[in-house]
Amino acid sequence: MEKQNTQPRGGNRRLGVNDGMRVGGNHRLGVSDETRVGGDRQGGRYGGRVWSWAWKIGGGALLLVIAACSMTIDSVVQPGSVNGGDILPVTLNVTITTNTGQTSNFMVAVLVPKIWNAAKNATITFTSDISSGDQGMTVIPAGTPAPQGGGLDWPTLLANRLGSGGNLLPDYEWVAFYSNSSYSVGGNATVHATVSIKIKTSPDNLSFKLGYCVANSTDGLSSSDRYGSYLNNGCFQVNGTGDLIDFCNPQLANIDPRTSLDNDIITLTFDGGVTPTALDNASSVYLCVSGITDTGDSLSVCEQTSRTKLRSLGLNKWQIDLWPRKLFNLPDNKHLTGLRYYFTDAAGGSKVGYGGGSQPFTYTFKCQ
Amino acid sequence: MKKILLLSTIAALVLLACKPERLVAPGEPVKALSGNWQIIKATRNGADLTSRFDFSKFRIHFTDSSYTIDSLVPFIVSKNGKWAFDDPTYPFQLSFTPTDSSRKSSPLLYPVSAGQRNIIITFSPGCGSNSYQYTLQKAN
Repeated sequence: MEKQNTQPRGGNRRLGVNDGMRVGGNHRLGVSDETRVGGDRQGGRYGGRVWSWAWKIGGGALLLVIAACSMTIDSVVQPGSVNGGDILPVTLNVTITTNTGQTSNFMVAVLVPKIWNAAKNATITFTSDISSGDQGMTVIPAGTPAPQGGGLDWPTLLANRLGSGGNLLPDYEWVAFYSNSSYSVGGNATVHATVSIKIKTSPDNLSFKLGYCVANSTDGLSSSDRYGSYLNNGCFQVNGTGDLIDFCNPQLANIDPRTSLDNDIITLTFDGGVTPTALDNASSVYLCVSGITDTGDSLSVCEQTSRTKLRSLGLNKWQIDLWPRKLFNLPDNKHLTGLRYYFTDAAGGSKVGYGGGSQPFTYTFKCQ
Repeated sequence: MKKILLLSTIAALVLLACKPERLVAPGEPVKALSGNWQIIKATRNGADLTSRFDFSKFRIHFTDSSYTIDSLVPFIVSKNGKWAFDDPTYPFQLSFTPTDSSRKSSPLLYPVSAGQRNIIITFSPGCGSNSYQYTLQKAN
């Protein structure tokens, strides 16, 4: 096995499938020449056209054979839950099949909550049939263009191509790693790799649908047979502290951004379509909120006025953007640590809290 | 002898007639901020908040070296103070030094859009992970 200590830069392509395609393109040029010559010899256009199409179809089939290369995640081994702050161990069993020789770096990406900061807190290694011992991987810096990705970097390309993996809150991210070395694989080869992922979770209490993708530095995500992915594999739990950050289930209420301080603009959304509530037939919805200060005081704004009125997004979904410091008229020396809130109708008589019940929704102000 | 004199005179005239043209590159004007500015666009982590949050009353008034803020919204600073460019001719950073706290700087873009000079600043008033970008334009 030939091993080269190189980290690929985006767009740098080595000999591989696409070079095969380029060779195929040269064949196609040859086809045109042959067609022209054939036409001259036979003195008829019909024969030339037949030859032209035959070559195109044959060449296309040949290209498919040359270019075919598959990469699959056969199985994933991960626990159903860990405690907050613990290491999450994951094993991916991967099979790579080639039809032509290629030298590339191996790419592994994980779909994780942003709050874990996996770029800093994850380590990935792998073993394979064609290497000896644990092989290291390094996070690909954001902004590095992915191969054949139209200028997009790996996290953006993965999010565009594979999406959220069924997570319903926007605070997720794809974090991609390249092998520290590139590897040469011959044609018609089958390689098995075992990927070991270790991610230090944050102390937060959350549920999330983890996702994984494997690819290489030549083909990128250029077509669905060039990479392997594993998504929507159930809801993984972190038994941590604080309010549950539930990426898996539709939320009656949520606050965006997931992490903020009282000097941020926050967006509260009430989605009455998730479950029947007392506000199902409300023509307008208002916020009733208490701010908990760093000195333990509770400041309340519970009124049905323009400053607490949510705007309708349709389908019984409502939203309001607010600046907590202004809403509670906080002096410079006071800060909020959290919110407790309900939603009410215009009369204030119908009040909806967590799960549609009488307990308030809660939110803690903190940064990652 | 006359020919030599004539040729010398012609040569001298030709040489004196060739005068190097001095091209002076047009000077880049110093960027001026003086006046009242308002927010015409605001994003948070890329999401457009302009029509969702009331920025309409916010004004920042720049003089030669000071600024004052009216109708505060989440901003890079919350108190009046001094401002400065990193380079008056080619500014890439705009810094604010409030009277009661230390200097805060923002990357600066200074585009002209529809004939109007805009300034675009990027900052985080709360968590560092939340990035806000405001586009300001001179208020009438």
